[in-house]
Amino acid sequence: MSVFPIVIIVFILNFTISPMESYLIYRFLLGALFIIIGLSIFLFGADIGITPIGSLMGHSIAKSNRLWVIGVAGIILGFLISIAEPDLHILANQVNSATGGVISKNIIVLIVSLGIAVMIAIGLYRIVYNKPLHKLLTIIYGVIFVFAIFTSPEFLAISFDASGATTGAMTVPFILALGLGISSLKIGKVSEEDSFGLVAIASSGAILSVLIMSLFNKNNELSNSIETNILETTSIVDPFIRKFPTIIFEVFMALLPLLVLFFIFNYISFKLSQKKLKKILKGLAYTFIGLVLFLLGVNAGFMDVGYIVGYSLGSLNSQWVIILIAFILGLVVILAEPAVYVLTEQIEDVTSGYIKRKIVMFALSIGVAVAVSLSIIRIIIPGIQLWHYLLPGYIIAIIMTYLVPKLFVGIAFDSGGVASGPMSATFILAFAQGAARATEGADVIIDGFGIIAMIALTPLIALQVLGLLFKIKSGKGGNTNGK
Amino acid sequence: MENNIEFNEFELCCVIVDCGMGSKILKTAKSFGVSGGTILLGKGTIKNPLLEILDLNDIRKEIVLMISEKSIAYKSLEEVSKKYKFEKPNRGIAFSTPIANLLGTSSCKYKENHESRGVNNIMYNAIFVIVERGKAEAVIDTAELAGSRGGTIINARGSGIHERATLFSMVIEPEKEIVLIISEKDKTDDIVLTINKSLDIEKPGNGIMFVIDLNKTYGLY
Repeated sequence: MSVFPIVIIVFILNFTISPMESYLIYRFLLGALFIIIGLSIFLFGADIGITPIGSLMGHSIAKSNRLWVIGVAGIILGFLISIAEPDLHILANQVNSATGGVISKNIIVLIVSLGIAVMIAIGLYRIVYNKPLHKLLTIIYGVIFVFAIFTSPEFLAISFDASGATTGAMTVPFILALGLGISSLKIGKVSEEDSFGLVAIASSGAILSVLIMSLFNKNNELSNSIETNILETTSIVDPFIRKFPTIIFEVFMALLPLLVLFFIFNYISFKLSQKKLKKILKGLAYTFIGLVLFLLGVNAGFMDVGYIVGYSLGSLNSQWVIILIAFILGLVVILAEPAVYVLTEQIEDVTSGYIKRKIVMFALSIGVAVAVSLSIIRIIIPGIQLWHYLLPGYIIAIIMTYLVPKLFVGIAFDSGGVASGPMSATFILAFAQGAARATEGADVIIDGFGIIAMIALTPLIALQVLGLLFKIKSGKGGNTNGK
Repeated sequence: MENNIEFNEFELCCVIVDCGMGSKILKTAKSFGVSGGTILLGKGTIKNPLLEILDLNDIRKEIVLMISEKSIAYKSLEEVSKKYKFEKPNRGIAFSTPIANLLGTSSCKYKENHESRGVNNIMYNAIFVIVERGKAEAVIDTAELAGSRGGTIINARGSGIHERATLFSMVIEPEKEIVLIISEKDKTDDIVLTINKSLDIEKPGNGIMFVIDLNKTYGLY
């Protein structure tokens, strides 16, 4: 279901504009198969493994009824989860090479994890203290923009990319469930509105910490040491076998803190029955297997194809074609993002089906499609810089938070972190890099950065527009109790 | 007494189907004259040894509650079960139960001290109040003033005849809360009338309330 549209589009491109070697196509198909199987196993796992752990932890933290417990637990949970996130280590490598090695990789990982941890603690306090999300977001993004003024464009791109990258497929379901677990202790409308927004606050922690790091960096030149590695092999299964060990290791590392925390919490507070314990552990095992298969499919099967499609489209003289294709790829890529399903399911649960999965998916698709095509336009036209998009984009997004129903504010800002998952970080990024390589005057590295930042931005606006439509259509002012 | 429009007999229809089907069921039922309904989410299990070993036997369900006059209820339930092939396994289940009292739709009036049919001496009633999301706490507070011991809030969504907004051809079903209150029979009237007074349930769009006779209760004291 989820990857069929992408497969169809790639096939059409293969027979028309950008013919590919047959081994690439076979590899792509194998990758698609892995993604389909992996995605469905992962979703089962998230449903019975990660989500219950998150909401149980949220419950027991909130029930402790002591403020320091909430703060400490928020910081510890946030820190352990983000430090294990594989995407953060990739990001740290990027920052490390971008700064010419001034800041060591381990320190970057530590600082960003700390940033996310602090923001998660703040996000938890917000839920407990009933502080409105839109005001907190205004403050956070205000601070971010003050920092951004003093930052070089390259670093700006990296930091906003960080917001999407660090909230990976494993952490998003957990943080979502954590917020739900705490807010579900409240009654009625407030509970529902506060169920969302924690992912948004957490990912702003990543932006902030990278921006702060850049202030200590005197070297504003990006050193071009990042390599795009296309495997020079014609074997179909070889890349799968080669990537298998690293992916297994990464997923295991991401899962480990959850597992350890779960056992600690279970010992102290949940004390689950044997049957429930077994079920959650099985869920974690499914998550592990599913995510490994999924990432294997994306990394080994999809990345090269994305790069080549981007390259051959970029070599065409017609610029409209690549912008159009970029739009279409953006439309369909969201259907294969694992965390999107977790978010939409949670939205249905919290609102009892008032906001349906299909309609959220629809808005997300449009948002990501616009993001990808805007990024391609930025690659083609050298004059446009990333902040030309980000600044007005975030200003619009923040202004809208004051107009749309509060429930949609949380959902929209969470979906930014959700949409920029593994699929866009690999397939779409490779596509953009391919296009950049084929375009004269475009820098593969500088223009490659920032695309995840765009995918994290546009859903904020798309979903808030959806919220406005709901508000207008239902004619009840959304949250004003129908008076 | 049965001929009087004010004392029509009403039935509560309950349909349990897979997640995503609820809105379709409601739409079909509406086309046979049911005026509205409320949908809540539930979890069901699948009976399958293999899936049970793998712990994959949970499935999301939707429960559709619809109230209508007896003949309409029977007719629409039959049509719904025919259309969605409930006679085949795993398609869904449907049942209906008589309602003792109903408030909040235009065609009914509250019957005080209503006599229950059947031989059993009914000791308790279940009062269901369906209101807009956010009002449930007020309902429980009012009910407690009238002598109820508390209530249970269930989140739901639903649509009546007054709400027909659509977005991209999808019907928007506003969010609701269902309050379930179990009360002793002699207190039921008090509770129902107090809630009615404070929430103006009889005015259109303010929610509906119905009462079901309970044959057996446990855990109440």
